[in-house]
Amino acid sequence: MKSTSYSEKTLDHFRNPRNVGTLEGPDVAVGKVGNPVCGDLMYMYIRVKDDRIADIKFQTFGCGSAIATSSMTTELVLGMTLEEAMKVTRNDVADALQGLPPIKMHCSNLAADALHDAISAWREGRRGETPEPPRVGEFSSSCPVPVSSPPDIEGAEELLGKGVYRKVEEPRAFADKRVLIIDRGKPSVDAALALTQHTGRVIFMSPVKEFSSKDDPRTGLKRSDVKVIYEAEPLAVLGEGEVEKVRVHDLNENDEYDLFIDALVILEQADH
Amino acid sequence: MPAQVYLDYQSSKPVDPLVVDAMHPWFTERFGNPSSLHQDGDEATEALERSRERVAQFIGAAKDEIIFTSGATESNNLAIIGYVTRNRRRGDHIIIAESEHISIQNITKSLEKQGFKVSRVGVDQYGRVSVEKLRRKVLDTTVLVSIGWASSEIGTIQPMQEMADMLHGRGIAFHSDAVAALGLLTIDMRKVPIDLLTLSSNDIYGPKGIGALYIRKNINIAPIMPGGGQERGLRSGSENMPAIVGMAFAAQIMASEMPQEVPRLAQYRDRLIEGVLGRIPQSHLNGHPSERLPNNAHFRFEAIEGESLLLSLKDKGIAVSTGSACSSKTLEPSHTLISCGLLHEEAHGSLEFTFGRWSKSTDVDRVLEVLPGIVERLRGMSPLYQKEVKL
Repeated sequence: MKSTSYSEKTLDHFRNPRNVGTLEGPDVAVGKVGNPVCGDLMYMYIRVKDDRIADIKFQTFGCGSAIATSSMTTELVLGMTLEEAMKVTRNDVADALQGLPPIKMHCSNLAADALHDAISAWREGRRGETPEPPRVGEFSSSCPVPVSSPPDIEGAEELLGKGVYRKVEEPRAFADKRVLIIDRGKPSVDAALALTQHTGRVIFMSPVKEFSSKDDPRTGLKRSDVKVIYEAEPLAVLGEGEVEKVRVHDLNENDEYDLFIDALVILEQADH
Repeated sequence: MPAQVYLDYQSSKPVDPLVVDAMHPWFTERFGNPSSLHQDGDEATEALERSRERVAQFIGAAKDEIIFTSGATESNNLAIIGYVTRNRRRGDHIIIAESEHISIQNITKSLEKQGFKVSRVGVDQYGRVSVEKLRRKVLDTTVLVSIGWASSEIGTIQPMQEMADMLHGRGIAFHSDAVAALGLLTIDMRKVPIDLLTLSSNDIYGPKGIGALYIRKNINIAPIMPGGGQERGLRSGSENMPAIVGMAFAAQIMASEMPQEVPRLAQYRDRLIEGVLGRIPQSHLNGHPSERLPNNAHFRFEAIEGESLLLSLKDKGIAVSTGSACSSKTLEPSHTLISCGLLHEEAHGSLEFTFGRWSKSTDVDRVLEVLPGIVERLRGMSPLYQKEVKL
């Protein structure tokens, strides 16, 4: 079955999703699931009254079945008690949609999990915490924020001067290059912002989950052309005679992936 | 021909009805086997050689430099495996581009298991190989370099002439899968010193299941499929005469249409790129801005996922492709987009439009009419989207 061989019911929920949006207030709890790196991210908002789901909304970044399962879940559980809603499974959602392509059962049928996360949040007293709209990199709440001492990056010494930089002295040398800058506090933020004048691709990689404080100099990156990757750190820089790619550790998913770049900036001074 | 707004010519093309007509007699009344010595056999032999001549002319090659195969995948296998196994005593090192199509990636992976060494030369953010970087990958043991002429996905054209000139005379064979460039770029083997070139029929509006491999004179390869010894012993199996005749006729039509067709498609492409980037905020062009196939426009849209875009366009009667993992068999995002330096979540939001022979100017109008609304609708329900004012 093709990934897009969806049932009529699934297509209906994709085309006319029910209950899109957000909720706010002291009687609201939020559940999150997924990771945009994998192509899915869902937020499920529930308003609870007398132990029942009195209102429910969702936001979803994802494929057709991710959107349809989110919509279907909200329709299924509206009015249920929290105990009943906790028993709704991924399979129930898939059944209500007249089935999903097998390949989609696990990857994008996450809405029930987001709902259960919201109910858990409610039960644990995490209420009224309607989040700021998230950014790429702010994922599931269960992941501990890593305490960062700058890790050793394998291969960085060997490629020093061949695409690995310890300081940014001549920004024009970065013209049109894909530059990755590792979070080393304010100097690295300044370097990233300066480099956007010389190249269209500046990526800033930080182990933290979010730049929350307004006093944090890194917050300024949000309003710039710098692409920020949160909750990630470089494990190794690879290349034969010059930088070709970086092996990245995704701290949230505990997964690894390759990022192809031309230059890697690891400033000497860590400034925290 | 295509009923809907079909903008996925890189995935599949209709066979030109004139080509179908030309193929028809070769199924029924002219069914001879070129290996037979009677009248019917002679007729088939004549048609086979005439077809070979036409395909050769299409790329400026000599007739005996063309071998018919079952298509691009077989041609790639025959070129790469056939060459490196025949020439192994001279070395065991192969170079391909990091962005190469999965057909090539998987061939080299299987050769690695047999002890061959494979280097992958990186591409820039537009998917282009630099001649200098390629030169630095060359070793004394390098026997073959394989780099596609252009990317069927992101449309980026490689510096073929420069790479071929650099490799020429070093005792390294240069193979290129040229299917994405066929009918869109002029290919003249008298000018570019490439040794092995993969061709396919459907890419020039011929039938599927037929292709060819160009093998320059004095380049020796081994067959990969033992059998009756057809095609100079390099590709056994009775010749697929209707398909061969069809491919040759398709090449002939294409050669005469290219001078008008290429600028027409480029005009659609440019209008679509300008319209999309101008009307949809936080949209980007993937692939090279100028060194680009005339029929290809490849975008990515922040905060939305490609399969959702594709489905929404399908609902409006528009057929396109996406590099998103969610539409692939492996659930992995496009390797080509990742090799350009994109993050997975960026690759997920990609959408590819490819124009072809039956494309109309109104197809562009239709896309520009519906796409901004679709993007806005999907962003409206995406938690990743923020209408942020960039400083």
